[in-house]
Parts: sequence; structure tokens; C-alpha cells
Amino acid sequence: MGMDFELLVRIFPEVLLDGIILGFMYALIALGYTMVYGVLEFINFAHSEIFIAGAFVGVEILLGLQARGLLDGFPWPFILLLALMAGMAASGLLAVAVERIAYRPLRGAPRLIPLISAIGVSFFLQDLIRLVESLWRNAFNLVYPSIDALNLRLELTETMDVSVKSLVVIVSALLMLWALHLIVNRTKVGTAIRAVAEDQAAASLMGIDVNRIISLTFLIGGAMGGAAGVLFGVQYGLINPYSGFIPGLKAFTAAVLGGIGNIPGAMVGGLVLGLLEAFAASYLSLLTGGAFGAEYKDIFAFSALILILIFRPKGLLGEVVRERA
Amino acid sequence: MPLFEARGVTKRFGGLTALHRVDFALERGIASIIGPNGAGKTTLFNVFTGLYVPDEGSVTFRGQALLGLRPDQITTLGVCRTFQNIRLFANMTAIENVLVGMNSRITLGLWDVLSHNPRFRRAESDLAARALGLLDRVGLQANANLVARNLPYGDRRRLELARALASEPALLLLDEPTAGMTQGEAGSLMRLLRGLVADLELAIILIEHNMRVVMEVSDRVTVLDHGEKIAEGSPREVQASPRVIEAYLGRRGAVPRGAHGA
Amino acid sequence: MIQTLLSIGLMAASALGVATFPRSVLVFLLFQGSLVFVYRARIPELLRWSLLVVALLVLMPVIGYFNGYYLEVATQVGIFVVLALGLNIVVGLAGLLDLGYVAFFAVGAYSWAIFGSPHANIIFGGGFPLAGGWFYPFLLIGLCTAALTGILLGLPVLRLHGDYLAIVTLGFGEVIRVLANNLDKPINLTNGPKGITPISRPPTPFGLPYGEYFYFLVLLLVVVVVIVNRRLEDSHIGRAWEAIREDELAARAMGVPLVRMKLMAFACGASFAGVMGVLFSAKQVFINPESFTFLESIGVLAMVILGGMGSIPGAILGATVVTVLNLQVLKGFSLWLNELKNAGVTVLGYSLADLPTQFEPAKYERMVFGIILVLMMIFRPQGIFPARRRQRELTTPGG
Repeated sequence: MGMDFELLVRIFPEVLLDGIILGFMYALIALGYTMVYGVLEFINFAHSEIFIAGAFVGVEILLGLQARGLLDGFPWPFILLLALMAGMAASGLLAVAVERIAYRPLRGAPRLIPLISAIGVSFFLQDLIRLVESLWRNAFNLVYPSIDALNLRLELTETMDVSVKSLVVIVSALLMLWALHLIVNRTKVGTAIRAVAEDQAAASLMGIDVNRIISLTFLIGGAMGGAAGVLFGVQYGLINPYSGFIPGLKAFTAAVLGGIGNIPGAMVGGLVLGLLEAFAASYLSLLTGGAFGAEYKDIFAFSALILILIFRPKGLLGEVVRERA
Repeated sequence: MPLFEARGVTKRFGGLTALHRVDFALERGIASIIGPNGAGKTTLFNVFTGLYVPDEGSVTFRGQALLGLRPDQITTLGVCRTFQNIRLFANMTAIENVLVGMNSRITLGLWDVLSHNPRFRRAESDLAARALGLLDRVGLQANANLVARNLPYGDRRRLELARALASEPALLLLDEPTAGMTQGEAGSLMRLLRGLVADLELAIILIEHNMRVVMEVSDRVTVLDHGEKIAEGSPREVQASPRVIEAYLGRRGAVPRGAHGA
Repeated sequence: MIQTLLSIGLMAASALGVATFPRSVLVFLLFQGSLVFVYRARIPELLRWSLLVVALLVLMPVIGYFNGYYLEVATQVGIFVVLALGLNIVVGLAGLLDLGYVAFFAVGAYSWAIFGSPHANIIFGGGFPLAGGWFYPFLLIGLCTAALTGILLGLPVLRLHGDYLAIVTLGFGEVIRVLANNLDKPINLTNGPKGITPISRPPTPFGLPYGEYFYFLVLLLVVVVVIVNRRLEDSHIGRAWEAIREDELAARAMGVPLVRMKLMAFACGASFAGVMGVLFSAKQVFINPESFTFLESIGVLAMVILGGMGSIPGAILGATVVTVLNLQVLKGFSLWLNELKNAGVTVLGYSLADLPTQFEPAKYERMVFGIILVLMMIFRPQGIFPARRRQRELTTPGG
């Protein structure tokens, strides 16, 4: 088989880093799925497009700055923050709009109906983004402009270095997750969301405006997805209107893996899946002598999804779903 | 060998013991299971029909163990039930509901269906005739083509009964069949049940809250309270039992003659 | 009386119109519209079906003579009608939302593609491709292979419901796609993204040209599949599926064997797709994984939803509308837009020639599917030609 053990060990830190970055990204996206499922018991299929819409808003901001020659002039934290804010706002608002238009009218209907509607929204948004970008920029396969400062590499140890970009992505993701944790657990709004997630009827009897909370949930979940989109673009560079689909599906897998409706679960699930995928991508080819390569990493995630849903639908940390009256 | 026998049935849900060592046997006729709300009556039915697996105990029907069998297998063996909160196929017509009930008795295969051979056509017309006959028996033949959700309440219970009868059971389990009915409707249903027992060699187990009905129609009454059997015997014996009175009414109280449930 | 005259008149006029203006998409759409009209008009049954038979067996091939592309469209419509009818069994009758339906289509297609082309020589060393005549037995082989795949898919997903079932089937569909794309090593089964070609075609009876041959074959298969669907629906099997969809617990308590019935639904639905897959690869002569993506699965779902879940005329209508929308309307719009651009037309002071070149309406199938799905769910979930039972389920208030 010719397994180069030394090679395996040498690339380990890099693979680990890739896995962590990927994991955080999946975690951020997974949050959107899990929060909405928590309050509505509904899979927001369109979340993958909400995620990529954030990426597009981010790239437009950066391209706009670049066109004005401002990209390397301003300090990069400021630029990144601007892109993130814009992406989060756009995605969050988009999520709220989608909920109002395509999901709210279907609230009482049998479960399949809003799901099919969500699939429709997902497809619609893909081509909507394509349309907007085609008309605005005559291109919809966009590349995130590179910021010099981010491409610098820092030396961690003698043999390993890491790009500033990767560090920035990790730190940003951590900050987002921490912020979300604060919101959900330390604010009135967060408590209201958790209340609605656990028992909608009781929450409304306690005076909580359920519709407003649901909109807020979509806003926050969408914003997380938007942030993930911008980070995705910064990290991987190339985006198109259809690039949300697969990461979205994988992030949903992560959410289920951690226990759908369970917010810490989404974070854990995201990390686990990211690491699994990074290791599969790098090692699979080496281990099988080239027979099965990195292309099969997608099957990894899909198979994981299928297996979890069949054998342990509650996930690793357990489901958090509503009490039935 | 009794037709149906359950021994030592115990079912726990987490810390709650819903049923504790319940014995129950039936040879023929109509037996009623009564008891205050939460006594475990429907849970017992769920164990009998394979919806729940008990933690201890055995259930046999015609000598065959029912534990571990799926609900549809149990129905095929000859035990059928109705539900406390009526589970009809709401958007199918009355006759279609009954036809589904016959599913376990149909021996047609995919090929018969696809080829519409004479065997299929004969079977389908037989089925339709039988279904209409059953609807007629319960008094619903006029509404055969009405969608189930549009039937009045009393008719829905009768339809559920017809559907359960469609599987040609030897043992019928009825969960609160007269709930929501007027005294007149209840009485009429009971006469129907007695007729069925006589004509079809059917045994029936009833869960009921309507005491008058229970006393009138049962050959034997079993009383459950907090998951345990506290009395069993003829309706008269059970009515006079102090333990039963206590379970329903507390320490002091009158005999629940004609009372409509606890 | 008026309706009778209108029916005959519309059909005849539009058919003549197509003959006179073979390039006009609008006139062809009018012809199709006239068929729908004839289907719904209050005219004697004999007249209705005679007109439709004449339209499909005579007029359509004649139209094909004037514009071969129309015949191609009609054939594609037929293929998707069968796919929609197959998905209809799984989604509409049994209520199992399968988002990976295209996988069965792919299985059928690849089964003939591999053995009906020289590609199999790579695997087996020699002796291939099989002679074109093998196409016919392969219709059956494709059916069985797809049905088997359906059962294999069905087994693990039986206990799942609604959302989770949908996602798992989506996952399966994606797995099949990735496999098709990557099984070119270690053994080259599918030739990966390069696809397989050339695929043998059967010899045609009476020396018919292939365009007409495939059209009539598809028409025949549509008729067979419709009959099979009707028979399944009006039998204990169809009733069992409906009962499962209505209330699984009660169905089981009434003696319906859930596992067997669900597997049967998957197998039946899959088998239709399998047969059409074989036909598809023979017709196209070239297949690659691009034809079997999630987009196609959703496309078929949109057809079933648009027409009406559980409804046979609905599935036919849905398949027709969606296919025509994509193949003709969108494409026609693209062409028309190009003509306007070239002619330097301006709209509200904006010259169309300035429209970005990347903007091609023909590519916006996803938007079409998306709009159809959302609007239908909000405004008419029972579909345009609702199945009798679904109508009650989805419109009566108080669910």
C-alpha cells in the first residue's frame, strides 16, 4: 500500500487547522438551522441561500472598496468588520423576509407543505442572486479580493506556520458563537426564544409575542449564516449562487449530529463534522492508495447524515424540541 | 384454553408504573374494563395490541404469544381495536375506510392488481359487497360514500366499529365506544354489540366510563385503579365492592349506579 | 355545442398555425393549450378522446415534420410525465417525500449505457456493446434494477417521517450523483464526468426515423404507466397507501403491513424511472452525471405539486407545463430577447443591447421551479387538477 507514515504525521497540524476552520463555519451555519427548528420544528431549507447571500454582500462591499482603491488603504480589521456587519444584516433581514412571505402563511399546514415551500425558496434565491449579480456586475462567479495583510503567515513553531487569514476566521467565528451564547442565555430576548422553543402555547400565555420572537429567531439565525458566508468567502475565495447548497446540507447534518434544536449541539456537531471531513479529504487518498480521493469527502458527510437520522436521530447531545400539549 | 389471556402484565414509563401485574382472561362474551381516569386502561389495550411492549408479563391469543408481534400481525391473527379519540382515515369515504380494514384478509397480489384478472375483479366486488354489508350492520349504509370527516360524531364511532369488524376479528377491543353519545345512542350501540357477539361468535373487551352501559351489557367487569386490578366479577358484584366505590368516590360515597364516569 | 365547435376548431386552427408558422413558439403553445381545453371541455367522451388520439398520433408527428424540435419537446414531456407519475406514487399516494427520485432514473440510464456501449469492454474485456435489439429486454432490466434500488433505499428510511425522510432521500440522491461522478476509478464503472457514449439504439420498426420512433415509444409507455397507476390506485394497495398517508398508526392497527407497503411504493415509483432511464440513454446516445442532479429531482417534484399530488391528470399536466416552460418558454424568451437586443430596441429609454451578456433567461430553471413550489404551497396546495381526496385534505378548514 505504500503508506507514508511520516507524511501523515507531517500534514496533521495543517489538516487539524483546516478541520477547525471548516468546523466553525459549519457551526455558524448550523446555528441557523437549529434555532429555527427549535422554535418551529421546521427545517429551513433556504438557509443555505441565506448563508451564501451574506457571502455575496460581503464580496460586493470588498469589490466596491477595491474599485475605489481603498482596500489596502484602510486597516483590515475595519474592512472585515464592515463586510461582516453588512453580510449579517443582509442575511438576517433576508431570513426575516422569507419567513414572513413564504413560511408564515403556512404555519398551520401539514408538515410537508412548509418544507416544500422552503425548497422552493431555496431554488428561487439561488437564481435571484444569479439574476442580481448578472445584471449588476455581469458575472456571478465571484472571487473575494485578497487583502495583503491577511495573506501574511505567522510562525507558530519551527515547522508550522499559519496564515493571518485562518486566525482571523477562527477568532471571528469564536466571537460570534460567544455572542450568540450570551444572547440566548443572558438576555430577555434569548430567554423568550428558549421559552417559545420549549412550549409555544405557554410562552404566549406568559405574554410573549410569539410572532415577534419567531422573526427574531430567523434574524439571529440568518445573521449567523451571513457571518459564516463572509468568512467562507474570505477563507475560500470563490463563490457562486449555487455554492450554498452543499455547505448548507453539511451544516444541517452537523445540526442533527449535535441534536437538532440544541444550540451547543450545533456548535459541537459543526466541529465534529468539520474535523471528520478535513481528515477524510486529506487522508482518504493516502490510505486507499489513490483509489478513493478527496472527492468522496462529500459522501462522508451525506453518509453521516443518513446514518445519524436512521440510528440516532436525537444526535449526540440530544434533541431539544417542544413539549406537545 | 381461554381465547385470550394476559398474565402479570407490567408496564413502566420511566419512574411511573402504569400497569402492575395485571391479569386478564376472556373466553367469550363481553367483558368491560373500568376505572378512574389514569388507571391504565388504554395502556393495557396498547399492550394487548402490540403498540407497547410490557416490561413483564405475557399475552396470548388462542394459545399464541402476542408479545413481540407487530400491531398489523396481531390484527391478522384476529384481534382488532378502536381508539379512544377516533382515528379514522378522515379524507377517505366511509366505505373506503372499511375496505382498508379488510386489508389483512386480502390475498391478492401485485400481479392480480396490475392485470385486473377475473380473480381480482371477483375479489373486489366481494369486498365491496362485504363492506356495504358491514356498513349496513352498523346503520351507515346510507352514508357509504360520504367522506369520513363529514360524518356526524355518532356515525364516526360506528364507522370505526365497522372498520374494526372488517378484519374479521375473533376478539374486538373497543376503547370508550360510547364516549360523547346520548343515552339512547349508547343503548342502541350496546344492542348492536350484543347482536354481533351472538351472530359472529365474537368476544369483546370494552373500556367504558358509562356505568349504565357497562352494567347492562357486560358479562363480566374488571376494575383497574392506578395500574392494578382491584376487583373483577359480575356487574352486580363489582358494583357492591367497597374497594371499587372507594377508588371512584373516595372514602365515603354512594354506589355509582348510572353515574357517567368519575 | 359551442364547446364542441371550439374544441375541434381550436385544435385544427392551431395545428394549421404551427404548420404555417413553424418557428412561432406561441402558436405551438396554443396547440398545446387546445389539447388541455379538449381535455376539460364539456363534450361527449367519445369526441374528447378521439380528438386527443388524433392530436397525439397524427397531428403531433406532422407538426414534428415541420419543426423537429417540437417533436423533441413532446418526447421530453412524455419522459417527464412518466417520471412525474412515478414520483406521484411515492409522494402523492403514499405520502413519502422523496427528494432523491432522480437516482432511480440514473440507475436505469446507466444500466443500458454501460452495456449498450463499448464502455463495458473496459470492465469486462470484450464483447460489448450489445446489439441494439437488447434495448427492449433492458427496458425490463432497467425496471428491475431501479425497483431493487428503490427497495434498498426504502429499507433504512422506513421509520423516518416527513422532514427527516425528505433529507435522507436527498442525501441518497447526492450520494448516487457523487458516485456516478467518481466511479471511474479504481474500476471504471461510470466513466465519471466524461460520461458514456456512444450508446446503442434499437433498430426502428418500419424504418421510422429516430425522432418519431422515440416519440411513439414514449407515448406507448405513458399509456401503459397511466393504466398501471390507475389500477394501483383503485386497489387494496392504493387504499393501503392512502391509509398510511392519512394515519400510519391506525393503518397499522387495521392490519396494513407498513414495511411491505412502503417498500412497494418506493419500488413501483422507482421502476417507472428506471424504464425511462433506459429509454433516455438510448435516445440521447450520450449520458453523464449532469443529467441526474438534485435539480432534476426537484423539477419532477415541482411537476407533481403543480399538477396535484396523487392525481394522474395532474401529473401529466404538471410535467407538460414545467417541461414546456423550461424547454420552450424560457428558451424562447432568451431568443426573443436576443433578437430585440440585436435590433437595438429600447425599453423606457434603456437600450436592451446594454443588457449584461451573462443574463440568459434560459438558465433560470431554478427560479421557475422555486416560484412554482412556493406559490402552489401558499395558494393551491392541492394542485391544478387535484386528486379527489387531496382536495378535501388540503382545502377543508380545520385540517
